[in-house]
Amino acid sequence: MSEPAIRLAGVGKRYPPREPGVAPLDLLIELDLTVARGEFLAIEGQSGSGKSTLLHLLGGLDRDFIGEVRVLGCDLSALSDQELAALRHAQIGFVFQSFNLLPGLSALENVLLPDFFGEGVPDAERRAREALARVGLADKGQSPPAALSGGERQRVAIARALLARPPLLLADEPTGNLDAQTGEGVISLFRELHQEGMTLLIVTHEARVSHAADRVMVLREGRLAAEPGSKHPLESE
Amino acid sequence: MRASKLFKLARSNLVRELGALAVSSGGVALGIGCLVFFLALGAGLQGVVNEVFPVSTREVEVVVPSMAIGNLLGEARLDDAVVARLRKVPGVAAAYPKMSLRIPAVTRYNGLFFGREIHMGLEVVGVGLMPELVGEDARLPFQDRGDGAPIPIVVSRRLLEIYNKVFAPQRGLPRLTDSMLIGFQFPIELGRSYIAGKTMPNAQEAALQLVGFSDRATLAGASMPLTAVMRINRRYGADADNYSSVLLRAQNADQVPEVAASVRRMGLEIDDSERNRALQIGAAVELVTLALGILAGLITGLAAVNTMQAFYASVRERTREIGVLRAVGATRGDVAGVVLAEAAVTGLAGGVVGVLLARLAAALLDRVASNGLPDFPFKPSTFFRFQGWHVALGILVALAAALIGAFFPARAAARLDPAKALTES
Repeated sequence: MSEPAIRLAGVGKRYPPREPGVAPLDLLIELDLTVARGEFLAIEGQSGSGKSTLLHLLGGLDRDFIGEVRVLGCDLSALSDQELAALRHAQIGFVFQSFNLLPGLSALENVLLPDFFGEGVPDAERRAREALARVGLADKGQSPPAALSGGERQRVAIARALLARPPLLLADEPTGNLDAQTGEGVISLFRELHQEGMTLLIVTHEARVSHAADRVMVLREGRLAAEPGSKHPLESE
Repeated sequence: MRASKLFKLARSNLVRELGALAVSSGGVALGIGCLVFFLALGAGLQGVVNEVFPVSTREVEVVVPSMAIGNLLGEARLDDAVVARLRKVPGVAAAYPKMSLRIPAVTRYNGLFFGREIHMGLEVVGVGLMPELVGEDARLPFQDRGDGAPIPIVVSRRLLEIYNKVFAPQRGLPRLTDSMLIGFQFPIELGRSYIAGKTMPNAQEAALQLVGFSDRATLAGASMPLTAVMRINRRYGADADNYSSVLLRAQNADQVPEVAASVRRMGLEIDDSERNRALQIGAAVELVTLALGILAGLITGLAAVNTMQAFYASVRERTREIGVLRAVGATRGDVAGVVLAEAAVTGLAGGVVGVLLARLAAALLDRVASNGLPDFPFKPSTFFRFQGWHVALGILVALAAALIGAFFPARAAARLDPAKALTES
């Protein structure tokens, strides 16, 4: 069996006290988690529960943690800054709640953003147009982000995450700023990607997103717990 | 990260921040404008000084000391034997003896002078030069053709300039050019002086023919072939064996002090009054240019500080975007590269605008000088000399100022924690 897409073992994240005399904050405590390749996992939790922090750890954006984080077979604590950048560039797609498009670039250029770095992306222009077409924005390539609706911006952000055709997609509250109808469109897109074999890990506090996932876990008081009724795909194998 | 993509990303950021770009670039442009303006002004003024006081850094003028024991005893002299010794001094490439016309001479001209009737009488100060020294400045042969033939002369360009700018306007005489005067002949009476009211018994009329203008010619007088002056001096019983001075040309400028020391050891003296004057004025111009250049450098330094503040503000405003760049695969170096590329564009824009501002200001000042200042000798058509290296230096300094200013903001951007940057509100 190939190595899982994500494996956490005893992962913790502690924030030092902001003032003397105040106890440090343990946001994540002894997390153990395995996400199989091709799995669609949703992690629920309330605001401030550490969902985004967990996502940043998984993406190698936050290296200040204890325990072991393995992503796509790589031990993140053993990778250099450049190796982490290369991993994010080629293997991990990010989708954020607030889209995070660069306002000075057109929609197409935003999708092409990963091509600006590292070794670039092969055949990037064609792939970017295909990605835009896939999210239903083939005709909006030259539009600046300011001219797009919230849903369109999020779809551009998803297209950007897909440009390098990464095996793993990490999404942080991807429907948080979208209305119900637009959010449904984004969720459908995630379903399609999952059916194509992509591993998805989405943190959310919206039940409609969780319903699309294979498995749902809850992050509460720094610890992960399986949502009742949710089944680990590896258990079924 | 390829340069084209780097600059594409930088451009997209700069387009959004045109206001900040204008402020940063404007400061750099002001500093660079001042720098290039002052450098060109310094070069222009140096050119004027060189025109007014043409000196060679390789040449010195040797004279007999005015106060020397040997002189009193009749030993210090500049004859052919001494000239031969001077030619053998280490470092000397050539020696050109000169001799003053040692009898009085006057010129009197009555008649048409380029369309104007004039009546003129002048004492003539004559100096004999070797034709090799005058070289191609003489447009007609500069050789003594003996008694009865016109004596060729060359005149200082400065004298022509003073005539055209001072003498001619005051007296309503025509302005003259080189080509108008070449070949012009006028009479000379050898052995006569108006000032002394004396005429020598064998005074003789001859003719002078202007054959060229030369910086080698004496300022107030006429420079003749050395053999002509020796012939005339001998004819009137004046000293025709001892030279007035010898121009020594060193093999290179670095050897001039060594040559001068050797000459002094021979009991002779170096007449460097004109050379020193030119060098002092040149040094003064250089000093003022340097001071103004430092001032411009300070302005550019302030612009660099301004650029630093602008880029710190820009990095702060774009913290979240920097987090996004890291999330899609940018390294710390890529992030720093984007900020520095923006600075480079800002600096280049400032440099180009600064150079254009300097040229504009110079053109305006030249125009004001042309219309507002009276005509005077050696008044230049432009006070500025823009050289290629001025422009190159201006743009390089602008680029360096912007890059130095943006260095710390770029480093701060590169060091941003991507996770924190992404959660920045």
